[in-house]
Amino acid sequence: MLAHSLFFYFFSTITVLSAVMVIFSRNTVYSVFFLILVFVTVSVLFIMIGAEFLGMIMLIVYVGAVAVLFLFVVMMLNIVEQVIKRPSRKGFINNISVGAIVGGIIFLELLVAIGGWKYKGGFIPLSMDKNYLEISNTQQLGNILYTDYIYLFQVAGMILLVAMIGAITLTFQKKPNVKRQSYTEQIQREKSSAVSLVDVESDKGVKLDD
Amino acid sequence: MQTIIYILPELFLSLAIMSLLMVGVFVKKGSKIVNLFSILSLILLIALILNQSDTTIKIFNGSYIIDNLSIFMKVLTLIFCFFVLLASRDYVKNTNIDKMEYPIIILTSTLGMFLMISSYDLIIFYLGLELQSLSLYILAAFNREDAKSNEAGLKYFVLSALASGLLLYGSSLIYGFTGSTNFEVIAANLKEAQVGAVFGIVFIIVGLAFKVSLVPFHMWTPDVYEGAPTSVTSFFALIPKIAAITVFIRFMYVPFVNLIDQWQIIILFLSIASMILGAVAAIGQTNIKRLMAYSTIGHMGYALAGLAVGTNQGIQSTIIYLTIYLAMNLGAFSCIFMMKRENVFYENINDLSGLSKNHPMLAFSFLIILFSLAGIPPLAGFFAKFYIFMSVIEAEMYALAIIGLITTVISAFYYLRIIKIIYFDKSKKPFDTSYDWGLKSSLILSSILVLIYFIYPSILTNAVSAIIIY
Repeated sequence: MLAHSLFFYFFSTITVLSAVMVIFSRNTVYSVFFLILVFVTVSVLFIMIGAEFLGMIMLIVYVGAVAVLFLFVVMMLNIVEQVIKRPSRKGFINNISVGAIVGGIIFLELLVAIGGWKYKGGFIPLSMDKNYLEISNTQQLGNILYTDYIYLFQVAGMILLVAMIGAITLTFQKKPNVKRQSYTEQIQREKSSAVSLVDVESDKGVKLDD
Repeated sequence: MQTIIYILPELFLSLAIMSLLMVGVFVKKGSKIVNLFSILSLILLIALILNQSDTTIKIFNGSYIIDNLSIFMKVLTLIFCFFVLLASRDYVKNTNIDKMEYPIIILTSTLGMFLMISSYDLIIFYLGLELQSLSLYILAAFNREDAKSNEAGLKYFVLSALASGLLLYGSSLIYGFTGSTNFEVIAANLKEAQVGAVFGIVFIIVGLAFKVSLVPFHMWTPDVYEGAPTSVTSFFALIPKIAAITVFIRFMYVPFVNLIDQWQIIILFLSIASMILGAVAAIGQTNIKRLMAYSTIGHMGYALAGLAVGTNQGIQSTIIYLTIYLAMNLGAFSCIFMMKRENVFYENINDLSGLSKNHPMLAFSFLIILFSLAGIPPLAGFFAKFYIFMSVIEAEMYALAIIGLITTVISAFYYLRIIKIIYFDKSKKPFDTSYDWGLKSSLILSSILVLIYFIYPSILTNAVSAIIIY
């Protein structure tokens, strides 16, 4: 139990610190790397509480796809100028009042929500459920997803298909003057059609591309 | 395993979408084949759905329902989807939206509407809605070279995403206060009005009202209708309304049925506001697509009046109104598709002036359809309004009936103005007369339906009378 809480404090400290660093880091690329660190440690925390499926999804989706996309976008930007410029104090002072009010309201809402929170009577904690100890939660998710919710699961697939078709129809265009690769033509090319031997007379040269 | 039989239409539709996509990608110049087969698959689907008739069953743990309402609405969706595709063939061919993805996206949105129509659970309803709206965003922006179409797509996307967010928020509140996403369990747990649950209902109604384009959530409608390609506008004006009205009926009369005192006043307000705005705002329009947008808003207001009543007769009158509205609008858009000279399509009302001299038959069909939209007696549009007002008066909601009648009179003005322009103004250069057979047949069919409905009104009323929700 001690080792468990030691690991928990270790990873949660890293999570909080790197989350802070995402905001305070001057270099945008470093920010993205800290963001990736946040995602990795959060996924470790998920795995530690026994939600290994959620942790792995976190790794695959956020680190594997979203963060890499961020990194691409950030690297496309020209960040040299932004590093040199220091943010002026004036904007901070002008906007602090509105920001403080909005932040305060959200904080109060959080207090009310957490203060008023109580479990509904019928809820059973996970550790009391004997199925929980026998079947891993990935398996439990699979049991539901591929039986009771199979129809919904398939429909979600159709939605993704439509999104893909839409993205392709709305962006892909065939331009007449763009040369496209033709595999069959490439493979069928032979020595006779590609290479020709020419006797070059001196002082005349060869005419190419006739 | 037994339940697979009941989702056969949906399975067939998804398989058709995927296989047509393969054909479109790998067959050179496959757009013609894809178009043909998507129209054929719609006909096959009608047969598959009619095969289920008179079954009432809830499948997938009660999250998906097949009953008379869902079967009727699915058949309606398919028939009008078929005719919209047929009528817009010529338009699609002559503008640069003739790609193989176009019919496929229409099929995917149809699949989404099927899910919405049959949904008996908040999650499946939301997934169906998203599948449908994602397809509609793409359709609105389909003409990429046209800045207006891009604007329409973007506007629709941003506003509709906001409405989806509100709807989802409402759903989460309802789930929180009732402990279930299933409609029947929600109804059992929502016996008396709790503040949080009522908030949830309001948010869900707002989201739905946006999708049906009811005042005050109608802002996107005229811009999107004007900007999108006309073939897409005709699709927007007809097909998504069916699914949205069905979902409206389902939500009001299954999960929220015990809180009728809470939502009735909201529905009444939406209905009255839409009727008034639809009548007044359309007067100043010069573009016929914008005019149709306001006309749609007004008509949805009338349809909702039947829903506000709170009786089974009211629901049935809404369904009849919707059916007749679809038939009339199919004709109106077929007429708009015919406004072309030398393969350029015109959208201004002034382009119609003196149509009767050059094209007497087209002018006559337009006359029938506009009279019907205005609600002039022997035509179908009159009966649609008649059923609605009958059920409203029987429920003793006289104020709603009076406002409805007044707005009908006001809206008659702008329909009659178009007739005046067609019949009494100076004639312009004639339009092209070589019509596509699909376009011609859908115009003829809709004019005849509107014209002779009064001979056998019992065909429709008998079909609808089997639908009992409340």
